[in-house]
Amino acid sequence: MTRSSSNSKLRLGLRLLVAGLFLLPIIWMVTAALRPPGSPLSSSIRLLPTRITLQNFSRVWQLVPLGRYLLNSLLVVGIAVPLTLVTSSWAGFSISQLPLSSQRRWIILSLAVLMVPGVALWSTRFLIFKILGWYNTIWALIAPAWMGTSPFYVLMFYRAFRRIPREMYESARLDGAGVLQTWRRIALPIARPTTIGVALLSFIFYWGDFISPLLYLRSEKYYTLPVGLQLLQQMGYSDWPLLMAAAVIATAVPLVLFLLVQPFFARVDGN
Amino acid sequence: MLLIPYLLGILLLVFIPAALSFTIAFFKYDALSPPVWAGELNFILTYTDELFNLSMQNSLSLVILPVPLRVLGAFLLARLMQRKGRLISWLRASIYIPSIIPSVAYALAWLWILNPLFGPLNLILRAIGLAAPNWFSDPLSAKLALILMSLWQIGEGFLVSLAALQDTPPELEDAARIDGAASWHIFWRITLPLLAPILLLLSFRDAILALQESFTAILLTTNGGPYYATFTLPLFVYEQSFDLLSFGTASAALWAIYALTGLIILVLYVIAAQWNIGTTDDTFII
Repeated sequence: MTRSSSNSKLRLGLRLLVAGLFLLPIIWMVTAALRPPGSPLSSSIRLLPTRITLQNFSRVWQLVPLGRYLLNSLLVVGIAVPLTLVTSSWAGFSISQLPLSSQRRWIILSLAVLMVPGVALWSTRFLIFKILGWYNTIWALIAPAWMGTSPFYVLMFYRAFRRIPREMYESARLDGAGVLQTWRRIALPIARPTTIGVALLSFIFYWGDFISPLLYLRSEKYYTLPVGLQLLQQMGYSDWPLLMAAAVIATAVPLVLFLLVQPFFARVDGN
Repeated sequence: MLLIPYLLGILLLVFIPAALSFTIAFFKYDALSPPVWAGELNFILTYTDELFNLSMQNSLSLVILPVPLRVLGAFLLARLMQRKGRLISWLRASIYIPSIIPSVAYALAWLWILNPLFGPLNLILRAIGLAAPNWFSDPLSAKLALILMSLWQIGEGFLVSLAALQDTPPELEDAARIDGAASWHIFWRITLPLLAPILLLLSFRDAILALQESFTAILLTTNGGPYYATFTLPLFVYEQSFDLLSFGTASAALWAIYALTGLIILVLYVIAAQWNIGTTDDTFII
């Protein structure tokens, strides 16, 4: 018995250690952001600087129009995430209602799309956006939302909707509900964990997307937060407290969202 | 009917661009003047380009090499965090957190962490008397640094492994335990082989994704250097199409990427057929 209890203590210790190790990048990012600007960088190891300041967080807004970039990022996420939820859950729902053989065909198609490397689409998407007039507009950043952002999300919804018993769909249809109503009243409420999961994943994707603005934007007025961070890096390469403050701002939004949603997933997982 | 946006979307954003990139490889095209037929010239130019071959090698060593490490790491961590409980759900969350950080912020954070003089990692290395590398300014340690960076972002593999572990019947392990098998033995002989197909699928998906995701990290930290030591295929394609406006040669390089992907899909298909993955409800995670 003593052996197994010391064993479980060892496991707990290992778990805590690993969790701490994975938090290190973010911890180092935050502590660097709290250093007073311009102070000589110390070469002693200490987690917290001797003087803590929030100055960097106010300084960074004056150097680049971070506020506008933040608004642009919020605009992109505000359109792209709801659109993703609608298109990916529609697709997942329709596939789950098809006869089995067609279901398989759609899944293979989705898997094939999933396997296309993004790099291979960069230059030709650029040409297509130019033809459509989306080049150098915010729509170039939102475009993937029209296809549910990723077939991965479609498959997540498909999985969730398939687990709903057929009889529930049938009885809704007998009550005179159309496809759209069945989707909204029955399928979506039951698949809430999936909806929240897809919303979170697509939020993280659009919020952090650096490649689309890099390739498809030219005007500074459309720049999003990741581009702002890059501009800041090019301006003052060695002002680490400032750079880390900007990095913390960009990370804070998805992090808070994740921490808010996390207990919900833990509950679902426990059942 | 509700499938229309999805179908149109993949047509416009995936299939047409993919088809275009196949055909443009035969033309000289700069997006300004109309395309001119070029035959196989782009292929010859690209495949004899030293930089292209170097970027191919770097892609393999920088992106493909860490993949088994990432997947196995994610799986071992999932195994460690497999229990239920409030504390452990927060510990799990902390493993996922590095994957939430926007890629640019993540790259900047590592530029700071690996700063040769003042970065926290080198301070620690010096304090315990180890050699402190120059990280991003030395060809070999720059590669190491990029691999190190990628090892912290394994959230997706971690979640998929957790889900897969939860789907395996606990009776199998219990039976082995009653027979007196040691827990490490059970792990290597029963759990791991049982989940091997999923881990393989995960590895392939990870390889394809990593190729693209490493782009931002490389662009911000080393920009392909020093001496092209971290110059990978996405950087080659980016440079050809957006700096040199040479869409033809970029597309010729893409043929190589497609060939590589095609090979991966073929292997995937064989594996899937062998183990019946993707034919049951629960394995569509991947």
